[in-house]
Amino acid sequence: MFRFRLYWTFTKKAFLRSAVYRFDVWSRLGSNLIFLLMWGSIWTALYAGREEAGGVSFESMLTYIVVSQFLSGVNGAGTPLWEIQEKVRTGDISLELMRPFDVPLRYLFADFGSVAFYILTALLPLYTVMFIFMDLTLPSAWETWILFIVSAFIGFLIRYCIEMAFGLLSFFLVETGGIVDVFYFAMSLLSGSVIPLWFFPGWLEKMALYLPFQGIYYIPNAIFIGKISGTEILLSLGVQLFWAAASYLLLRFVWNHASQKIVVQGG
Amino acid sequence: MSVLKYFDLYFKLISAGVRAQLQYRFAFVMRIVGLITSYTGTAVTMWIMLYQFQELGSWTFYEMLFLFAVAVLSWGFCIILFFHFRGLDTYILNGTFDRFLVRPINPFFHFMAMKFDVASFGQFIFSIGIFIWVSFELQLDWTIGKSFFLLLSVVGGILIQGGLLVIISALAFWTTKSEQFYWVAMFPARNLTNYPLVIYPKAVQWFTAFVIPFGFVNYFPAAVLLEKETPFFPENIGYYSPLVGIVFFAIAYYIWMLGLKRYKSTGS
Repeated sequence: MFRFRLYWTFTKKAFLRSAVYRFDVWSRLGSNLIFLLMWGSIWTALYAGREEAGGVSFESMLTYIVVSQFLSGVNGAGTPLWEIQEKVRTGDISLELMRPFDVPLRYLFADFGSVAFYILTALLPLYTVMFIFMDLTLPSAWETWILFIVSAFIGFLIRYCIEMAFGLLSFFLVETGGIVDVFYFAMSLLSGSVIPLWFFPGWLEKMALYLPFQGIYYIPNAIFIGKISGTEILLSLGVQLFWAAASYLLLRFVWNHASQKIVVQGG
Repeated sequence: MSVLKYFDLYFKLISAGVRAQLQYRFAFVMRIVGLITSYTGTAVTMWIMLYQFQELGSWTFYEMLFLFAVAVLSWGFCIILFFHFRGLDTYILNGTFDRFLVRPINPFFHFMAMKFDVASFGQFIFSIGIFIWVSFELQLDWTIGKSFFLLLSVVGGILIQGGLLVIISALAFWTTKSEQFYWVAMFPARNLTNYPLVIYPKAVQWFTAFVIPFGFVNYFPAAVLLEKETPFFPENIGYYSPLVGIVFFAIAYYIWMLGLKRYKSTGS
């Protein structure tokens, strides 16, 4: 039985907790802006004054990057992976295992809270101002906005499940450095977060389309700028749902094995 | 104590640290693999970026790789010498910083010699591999003068990035925060300089040249070595890189010592 109210408490608590750590929120926003500056400058330089490249106008491309940075702010506002790994390393995770809730779900709902706080107090005001003052393209139809939000939310779930599954590998390996780096590389590149898939070499684009990462950034971004439209959107959402389900199963699988095999170091 | 004695002591202190790290053979190898993977990831991203567009602000793929490798090489040394400085806040908060003050050696030196991260071999393997590859592709002519200049500018890069780490750690004396400042300011700024500065707005270029002189870590020296132009800046400004490094590090050291004077133990 899914006890929504129990998990909702974690969401509320995490929201309030973020409100206390104001400095964290501001500093995260600062580094998000530096990366936006970096990718905005890179794409401006790549287009080098051209109106369009690869069938996409400069304005749309810039919008793609801004939306992408917004989403990466959203995806990066939850409990950091190292914090959970540290809990495994120190053995604190055993305290969570003893309590009557499901640990992966508990962290997901806590993330909802801290992400909501970050969006409301930092991301939304800033990016609204940016959309007003920069030459960016906004979707004209309200349906597109809703589809974008739905798609971004599914993307968030995909990212959470995969990231958590990788993080839980620290139950099996004491040092996960190499594996986690491969994951972050795949996530930043194959998700199309900084380079949209249509600029990839053909073979790599095909590969990325068969992987779950595109659901995190590429699909919502492409919906926003209208690169994906009409029935294609529904198809993309279907793909995202499929990957959300698949990555949830992966997380369940890893979690079941991990919690069986818990090795607490020291005591 | 004489400088020579300090050298001797440094190697004694770090060799203990290295031996400790090598006890965890698997973790050691994994970290190196991880570092090389993430640097290769950035290089692959650059390649895909330029797959359609050929050049970024008149820099080609191989030139950008070279620029990137200069930064990675000096960062490798920087990790060995200064990377643990960012964690000074934890020492202050836990009260463990006091042990660096009660011994008859310079506390700055003592803190610096506390740790020696061997995983930076990852940076060395990656950057040297790239240097060899790019030298063939661009048919770079490595004269003695050029090699010597590369060496000096790597030293400059170590001092600039190390200096910034020292300044960030000194902030902990005033604010009891430092680790976070690294991730907020220095980590993104380092990423910024993986790409040629010419693509950024003028104010940003100016800032990275004269306020926090990251431009002297890789952009200016690489422009000299690859004989590329640096618009808005005097030609061959890269030759000043070692000098900028020395000055910047001296300022950083002064700030750290100033903070140390202000330091009061948290007790408990």
